[in-house]
Amino acid sequence: MLNVEHLTKTFSNGKGIFDVSFSVEQGEVFGFLGPNGAGKSTTIRHIMGFMKPDKGLVKVNGLDTWKEQGKVQSYIGYLPGEISFIEGMTGKTFLDFMGNMQGVKELSKRNVLIDRLQFDVQTPIRKMSKGMKQKVAIVAAFMHDPEVIILDEPTSGLDPLMQKVFIEIVLEEKAQGKTFLMSSHSFPEIERTCDRAAIIKDGIVITIKDIHELQSMQRKLFEVTFESDTEAASFLSSGLHIESHDGNRVRVAVQGNYNRFVEETGKYSVRNIDIFTQNLEDIFMNYYDRKGTMK
Amino acid sequence: MNVTLYKQMIKVNMKSFMNYAFGSAFYILLMFWLYPSIAQNTKAIDELIQSMPEGVGKAFGLNGFDSAEAFISGEYYGLILILILSIVCVQLSTQLMARLVDQGSMAYLLSTPTTRGKVAFTQVSVLTTGLFLIIAVTTIAGFVGSAWFLSGTYEFDTSKFMQMNAVVFLLFFAVGGITFLVSSLCNDEKKALSISGFITFGFFSLDLLGKFSEKIEWIRKLSIFSLYQPGEIVNGNVDFATPSSILSIVGIVSFGLAILLFRKRDLPL
Repeated sequence: MLNVEHLTKTFSNGKGIFDVSFSVEQGEVFGFLGPNGAGKSTTIRHIMGFMKPDKGLVKVNGLDTWKEQGKVQSYIGYLPGEISFIEGMTGKTFLDFMGNMQGVKELSKRNVLIDRLQFDVQTPIRKMSKGMKQKVAIVAAFMHDPEVIILDEPTSGLDPLMQKVFIEIVLEEKAQGKTFLMSSHSFPEIERTCDRAAIIKDGIVITIKDIHELQSMQRKLFEVTFESDTEAASFLSSGLHIESHDGNRVRVAVQGNYNRFVEETGKYSVRNIDIFTQNLEDIFMNYYDRKGTMK
Repeated sequence: MNVTLYKQMIKVNMKSFMNYAFGSAFYILLMFWLYPSIAQNTKAIDELIQSMPEGVGKAFGLNGFDSAEAFISGEYYGLILILILSIVCVQLSTQLMARLVDQGSMAYLLSTPTTRGKVAFTQVSVLTTGLFLIIAVTTIAGFVGSAWFLSGTYEFDTSKFMQMNAVVFLLFFAVGGITFLVSSLCNDEKKALSISGFITFGFFSLDLLGKFSEKIEWIRKLSIFSLYQPGEIVNGNVDFATPSSILSIVGIVSFGLAILLFRKRDLPL
């Protein structure tokens, strides 16, 4: 449904994306992960036909997104990473305008979405909070019932409840056979919706893996507080990957092998365990490092 | 051309079009209202102008006061209207393209089943519509003013007045083409505004400077503003067809180039 083939674009500063290839099947939710500046947005700009590739091409539903402008967009719903609407509109006039531009007469889908996301469409856009703008943008991306939906960091600015609603909407659309490409730098968001994901860094796709495989690759940091310093000291020799050690607290990095971690810590009396939320780069740090040296 | 986009853009910009149009209409009415009292003292004023250095009168288009259209051509069409329309061109063309790209809302327009060519052409139409509206309202106000304040007592040559308005429109069609071309190529709104402002007011200044002194008159040739000479139109000693066609060609070529280049370029959306 969505094919990215050997996409290459070099900017004047030497950055860019290099030989990016992947394809997303119909009915699949494909995650696109990477730290900021890795090339996610650049790839999406090519998918949307905003940029001309130096090499390679992007096809949606068999149509080249650079050459077939005017046709290909009718299959695509798009949620930009940085949302900016045309000035002087309310939520409703914007959605009406977009509906007309898309040539959509049927409003039922739009109304259902507005209802579920719970926002006031009559509010002028300039008075909207970030989260509310995000909701308008989500409606605009889904309302014309497109085959392929491109979401660039869709849940930024949404509160946890609305993030949940959003994920439900994505899963429902997926069940109806819609194809998704979802970029994010938050792994939990991808974890709950995607079938496969690509990890991109410095413009190169490092890996494309099944989401379960990625989960096992994921590195988590636990901070274990032991009853005494001596217990902590003897835990250090357990063979687990120790990040740091301070008094009775030990930070452990765990990748995939949770059983081992539980067994080892179970031997001691534990006062507290904290898990650290990490950014994506930290989560896949080992992986990145390995690939980094391979180059 | 995308009708939905055109309607929306006109709606967004109508207020500012109308502000400029009515401001301009009010000013021209004021000029007509003033004219009868000035006409009675034409001789004294003409003498005053004679006493000024020749270049000054020429530069500011002071064109004698012996007919209403000469007065209007000097007092309004020579300077104020040019400034107003220059500002409109620079601002509006920046808003219509560079701002949408800079802020990112262009992404929304291009994510719908339309082409870049159509979007750019629609914006060209909005710009031309705006210029046309402002000049049309000004022209109508001119006729209203002449009927109201001059009614038969003083002469008013309508065909020369129309000609003057037509050339003004074509001049700003050309200027708008250049500013729109700049705007279509810029990713940064402020950059677009300063470049097109520099070009427009640069042209304007070259024309003004060239008029001051005969020694440097050649620099006027560098400016497209020299193709519009309201005083000469009124005095009837200028060719209408040549400058008009040059201005039209400059406009069409610039707009065409803007659309063509906008279709091909990378957009940071």
